[in-house]
Amino acid sequence: MNDPYSVLGVSPSASDDEVKKAYRDLARKYHPDNYHDNPLADLASEKMKEINEAYDAITKSREQGGSSGAGGYGYGYAYQSQARQQSTGSNAQYVQIRNLINANNLAQAEAMLNAIPTHDAEWYYLMGSVCWRKGWMDQAGQYFRTASTMEPGNVEYRNAVQYMNQGGQAYRPAGAGMGDMMGGDAACNLCQNLICADCCCEMFGGNLIPCIGCR
Amino acid sequence: MYGYVRPVKGELKVSEFERFRGVYCGLCHELARRYGFAARFLVNYDFTFLAMLLAQPGPAVTCPRRCPAHPLKKTECLSGCDSLSMAADMTVILGWWKLADGGEDKSFPASWGYKAACGILKSAYKKAAGRQPVFAAATEQNLKALQALEKANCPSMDEAADKFALILRAAGTAIDGEKGRVLSELLYHLGRIIYILDAADDLAEDIKTDSYNSLRYRFRPTEEGKLSEEDQRTIRVSLQHSHNALAGAYALMGDNIYSSILSNTIYLGLPAATQAVFSGTWKTNGRIQRERSIS
Repeated sequence: MNDPYSVLGVSPSASDDEVKKAYRDLARKYHPDNYHDNPLADLASEKMKEINEAYDAITKSREQGGSSGAGGYGYGYAYQSQARQQSTGSNAQYVQIRNLINANNLAQAEAMLNAIPTHDAEWYYLMGSVCWRKGWMDQAGQYFRTASTMEPGNVEYRNAVQYMNQGGQAYRPAGAGMGDMMGGDAACNLCQNLICADCCCEMFGGNLIPCIGCR
Repeated sequence: MYGYVRPVKGELKVSEFERFRGVYCGLCHELARRYGFAARFLVNYDFTFLAMLLAQPGPAVTCPRRCPAHPLKKTECLSGCDSLSMAADMTVILGWWKLADGGEDKSFPASWGYKAACGILKSAYKKAAGRQPVFAAATEQNLKALQALEKANCPSMDEAADKFALILRAAGTAIDGEKGRVLSELLYHLGRIIYILDAADDLAEDIKTDSYNSLRYRFRPTEEGKLSEEDQRTIRVSLQHSHNALAGAYALMGDNIYSSILSNTIYLGLPAATQAVFSGTWKTNGRIQRERSIS
């Protein structure tokens, strides 16, 4: 493993608070919410693992060395897989397409979708997912909306439309200004996004806001 | 080329501004050194950004230079670095194809101007294409595909933007490994943002001259080229998602001496340019500031 201090970008003489702050900043940077259904999510996840290990190593060595230690500061910004949920009614072909999308094999997923003659709500959702991964955000939104209109009760489709409409989220360094591409206030959007993301998390049994607020 | 990708000058430290100018002027000198005087006219902010993005970690080599635009005062120019040479090659390739495209699209007498410029830069283009064959092939292929979409009045904003985005993406594939993967993703979304901003900025003019504009067929603008608030929001949400993807990729790039300038460009410059385009002030204020921001 690399030197844990250089991973966190602090000197070995840094105080516990400085180490903690550096860790927090990096954890915010590589947080899975910034890589929602993103083709680079694997690289961000590796980075997250690296900084978690570095923080853990520093905390342990300081505890053993009699230093005050970071004191129970957890390092578990767990990286949840963003694999698509398998909806219960899915036919075998859709399962295969979902796997292809998760493996980033978009060309094949798109070809398989195009070969399906009848288009139900799941077809539109999966086509939207392919477009999203390709970076065709406008068409992705159109497909997600169609899927959700066809099957208004489906949580997965509704979440996709919601995420699309609210503009998602990305890491911004502290003091990087307030403007965003939507002409709004980024800090305000961030709160909104956190609340939305928290609702999504809770739906799957997790909880996002305490995991940022309390650590 | 378009000028949307540039830092907000007021937010740069003096030392950062000087470093930025060193890359811009360095790129101009590199163009002249590699491709002759005429290639200087192709210098632009987009490839200055690329040169900074591609720069290796560690200090940069600069040397004081004079140029025809600043004959009295020497500027500390970046020199002798691979990222600058690569950016210069790509500037010539994309610049030449844009001129060739203009020669076909415009009517007389403007088309003759484009054709003449193309002729002057032909040998420079051949040299550059020899040095960057993958990028040259991608540029040619995608600009031709874009022309075909334009002729068919393609109503998909994504599909048209995709072709331009793929050209910039090809600049990232020139780098191997993980860094190349990250860079490709970053440049794809940067290209997409540039294309859509340019389409939004040119919408009124394109409707007036009855030229192709993807937004014209995707949305329902008025005859004066105005989009409804809902349509504008749809476009800006789409730009926001691309900006998120770009920022996500940028966070995975290692730091170099230009990091603070790159951050300024990404987090402040792009949103500012977007705001100016959608508020209709880009063509007036934006262009003036663009001229002033470097000299």
